[in-house]
Amino acid sequence: MVKLNNSSDLKLVFKYALKDFSRNYKKILSIIVTLYISLFILSAIFTIEDSLKKELNDNAKSLLGGDLEIDYNRNQGNLDLINQVKEFATVSQMIEFSTMISTTNREKNKSLFTRIKTVDEKYPLYGKVVYEPKGAYERIQKEPNTILINESLTKTLNININEVIKVQDQLFTVVGIIKTVPDVSGFVAFGDWALAGKQTLEILKLNGIGSFLNYEYKVKFNHNDNAEILEKKIKNIFKNDQKVKLRYPENSASGLKRIISNFSQFLSLVSISAMLIAGIGIANTLLSFINHNNMSIAVRKAVGFYSGNIKLLYYMQLFILLFIITIFAYCSSFLIVPIADKYLSDGLGLNINPIFSFLNFLKIFLVGFLVLLIFSIPTINAIDQVKASNLFRNVFQNLQFYYSKKSITISIFLLSILILLFTLGSENPVYSLGYFGAFFVCLIVFFLLSKLIIFSLKKIKSFSNISLNVSIKNITQTKSITPITIMSLGLGVTLLLTLALVGTNFKREIAKSIPDIAPDYFFVGIQKGEREKFEQSILSMDPNASIEIVPMVSSGIVKINGINPNTYITPDNDSYWVIGSERRSSWAKKVPEDNPIIKGKWWDLSKNNQLQISLDAKVAKDLNINIGDIFTLNIYGREIEGEIINFREVDYRDLSINFAMLFNPQFAINIPHEYLATTKFDNLDKFNEIQMLKILPSLSMIKIADYLNKVTSVLNKVFIAVTLISTVTIVIGLIVISSAIMVQGKVKEFQNLVFKILGFSKKKVVFSSLIEFIIIFISVILIAIFFAVIGSKFIMENIFELVWKFDVIVLIYLGLSIGLVTLLLILLTNLKYLNPKIYPLIRNQ
Amino acid sequence: MNTLLKLKKVNLKYQTGKKNISVLKDINLITKKKESISIVGESGSGKTSLIMLIGGLERATSGKIFFQNQEITKLSEDSISEIRKKNIGIIFQSFYLIPNYTAVENVALTLELNKFKNPEKEAKMLLERFGLKHRFNNLPGQLSGGEQQRVAIARAIAMKPELILADEPTGNLDTENSIMISEILFKYIKEEGSSLIMVTHDQKLANKAKRKIKIKDGKIK
Ligand SMILES: Nc1ncnc2c1ncn2[C@@H]1O[C@H](COP(=O)(O)OP(=O)(O)O)[C@@H](O)[C@H]1O
Ligand SMILES: [Mg+2]
Repeated sequence: MVKLNNSSDLKLVFKYALKDFSRNYKKILSIIVTLYISLFILSAIFTIEDSLKKELNDNAKSLLGGDLEIDYNRNQGNLDLINQVKEFATVSQMIEFSTMISTTNREKNKSLFTRIKTVDEKYPLYGKVVYEPKGAYERIQKEPNTILINESLTKTLNININEVIKVQDQLFTVVGIIKTVPDVSGFVAFGDWALAGKQTLEILKLNGIGSFLNYEYKVKFNHNDNAEILEKKIKNIFKNDQKVKLRYPENSASGLKRIISNFSQFLSLVSISAMLIAGIGIANTLLSFINHNNMSIAVRKAVGFYSGNIKLLYYMQLFILLFIITIFAYCSSFLIVPIADKYLSDGLGLNINPIFSFLNFLKIFLVGFLVLLIFSIPTINAIDQVKASNLFRNVFQNLQFYYSKKSITISIFLLSILILLFTLGSENPVYSLGYFGAFFVCLIVFFLLSKLIIFSLKKIKSFSNISLNVSIKNITQTKSITPITIMSLGLGVTLLLTLALVGTNFKREIAKSIPDIAPDYFFVGIQKGEREKFEQSILSMDPNASIEIVPMVSSGIVKINGINPNTYITPDNDSYWVIGSERRSSWAKKVPEDNPIIKGKWWDLSKNNQLQISLDAKVAKDLNINIGDIFTLNIYGREIEGEIINFREVDYRDLSINFAMLFNPQFAINIPHEYLATTKFDNLDKFNEIQMLKILPSLSMIKIADYLNKVTSVLNKVFIAVTLISTVTIVIGLIVISSAIMVQGKVKEFQNLVFKILGFSKKKVVFSSLIEFIIIFISVILIAIFFAVIGSKFIMENIFELVWKFDVIVLIYLGLSIGLVTLLLILLTNLKYLNPKIYPLIRNQ
Repeated sequence: MNTLLKLKKVNLKYQTGKKNISVLKDINLITKKKESISIVGESGSGKTSLIMLIGGLERATSGKIFFQNQEITKLSEDSISEIRKKNIGIIFQSFYLIPNYTAVENVALTLELNKFKNPEKEAKMLLERFGLKHRFNNLPGQLSGGEQQRVAIARAIAMKPELILADEPTGNLDTENSIMISEILFKYIKEEGSSLIMVTHDQKLANKAKRKIKIKDGKIK
């Protein structure tokens, strides 16, 4: 492609590239701006992702709370074994549970289901607890009935320091407010929680299941000890204990890391779209730039430059430009980190700092390099068409994009590399590939649309309206910007509309489950003897309340077909949660209405003295379980074998009572159990939480609306971020369009001049660009809506597995606002050419 | 031994649509080193085409062209570029300076391409010789036509080429400037011993050359 004679030639070309670049950069401002914006977004995503992951890795021990975690889940565990560990390491005990907290001494007291963490003096083994005022943290250890609450809880219940609150039926003084704790990973990240001293547990009545008890022992090795040896030693100590789960720093926050990877994969795809749209503009601007330099290129050829070297000269200018822009984009992405930090530290208590990574810089440069190359090859190859002999003839033909077989092959090859770069190593390669596929299909369709419009308008010969004629002429003229406008606007609008539709569908799905299907309250922790009391109390407050109450036991899967599942099922399995810790299970005589059996039979009544298990079909598929497999369950310390007898289709999203495992009632009725209830009130106001707590102090109440509000507010934040980033594609599309108009400017100016001479009024010129815009925009928006509907439907139904619905309002709203902005931009850019100065134009022509 | 150029039965045809236009017909021409030649003829007779063939900027349809005994009609585009770069300087009627390069930079371009040690310094010396000392750092747009053509000549002769090709170098200039340009050109080839092939309509200028070639309908008369 490019022939180089020797290194001194290369040096010469480089020198001229620098010189030309320093004089030309103003003419390619739109390339600079679009390239900068898209590289900046990409840099910001990479930088934030890396900084977050680094924070998580650096603080793996803090997040875990120690060098190792011994998790006994619901049980206090085997203290003998714990004591053995204490002989060579520091052990801190921590118990988490959930219970009701209520305000006192108010006109209208409020209560909330809250997670409380009790810790001993050794906590935290790593990291720091940030709280105020001074000394508060020491007080919860020394003084009984004191508690620290987090900031969110102060807001939710409007509690101040020194106020007295009720935890179950005990009074506690709030002695301070916690800002952050180091070990967020095992703890509730978003939401309300409190910290208390270890003596708290004895004061409260905590029953098994309803309080979601969790016993953990965090271990810190002595400074000089070899961590690996000690890890082995501890493993050895607990090797015969089935109930224990050991965790290491490297598994801390694995869920969070996955979310981050998924999210950043998605955002990178959006930013590469922006970049490809920018590429369309780059190709266009570059072509006009080279046309502008037509004569200089011919002169260079005349004095003996090789065509290859001249092309190299332009490539080099582009890469000098890219290099500078990448540096700027990468460095300025660091400015975004503090903003992201603020967002994240509010919710997660994570503090991220920008980290410089040469690899990231290279990756961003490479992406920019590939995009530039792909879009500049057909443009720069046009240089071959410039002939030095033109200098004798005084004519300079307008260059066109030049596609040879070779250059097309190279472009496709480079494009494949680009796609691979974003696909390989991403969390979900198939989705990335699908995304690229959809992107290019859209690109091609919009390109064909532009050709179709031009073709069909050419067929229509003449109208009586002169403005209409002029606009049709504008759209169909040889060097019209119609294809560029349609492609860049079309892709941007499609992306934005798709995301908007997904977003609104998502929100609607969440919101709609509140009034219809879902109950108002979940009640956990109703003891065996409290069932009647519970039902009576509810009905006495609201006689028309509908109550669903089911028995519940807690059990852990110890073995599947005789093998410990933890030895072969890893945490990245979608159904790991089933074996990860103890699960709550229930039993039922009849098949639950919304849980149809899809394989196997309901209970085998001939085997009433044996445990039979009905399993969630998705779990069965994930864990590769067949009918007839045997689970060994640990139920209250007893190991019981049960046979898998059927699979049910469970939809957890309906927020009614759902269990992964159901047992045959004939067997399970004898197991010690408690109850779980859901209630839908006829009139929610009649229900009084505080009074309910007086009757059943250990009852846990979860108000569905509160819970959903929290989820919705998190989703809202995510949605805003996503919309902001995808708007970038529109912005880039608009810059591409306006630069295309500028490129066309000289022709436009001349055209307007002719109009002026012919007595065509300014009003008519404006009117004709309005018609031009309307023809283009309506066709674009129709196709974009079509794609957005298909795309969002696919995403909602196949990726999120939720219901999809058409939302006209959002489409109209977004479509109109994008249209308005585009129109304004087009009119403003055209305004420049509306008042042509006659003299210079005539002289030049 | 003294031969610089040899054209043997050179034909040039242009294709326009389905028609073949024969622009140059069976041209035979031998020129010597240090020779100055003027080409005259009516507009459209094929003068420019001939110059372009000699400069390797156009390919002959048939026939052979030798430059310093090397057959350039056989060479690749890049090899012709190489010969042109070292040996042929070209001057155009419309000057054609690179608009965003200063006078000095326009001249230095060829010197640099031929790997001169101090291209800018040499360029300045040349421009000074042509009376442009006060115009070193001006862009072409800031120069008069005569000045621009002097810079263009400086660019063409900077690397002391064996042959200078000029296509109506004074065609865009007034009388005063024309005289100045022709003086510069002839003084230069005398001093440096270069050869000059020049197309012109200006009889006085044509007569300055040692040899005069007349072209009519694509043939040498
Ligand atoms: N690219 C071309 N295609 C067709 N005809 C051409 C082309 N270039 C030049 N000609 C024709 O060749 C003839 C000679 O042109 P030229 O060499 O420029 O003449 P001169 O310089 O003597 O005026 C003219 O008749 C011109 O129309
Ligand atoms: Mg001519």
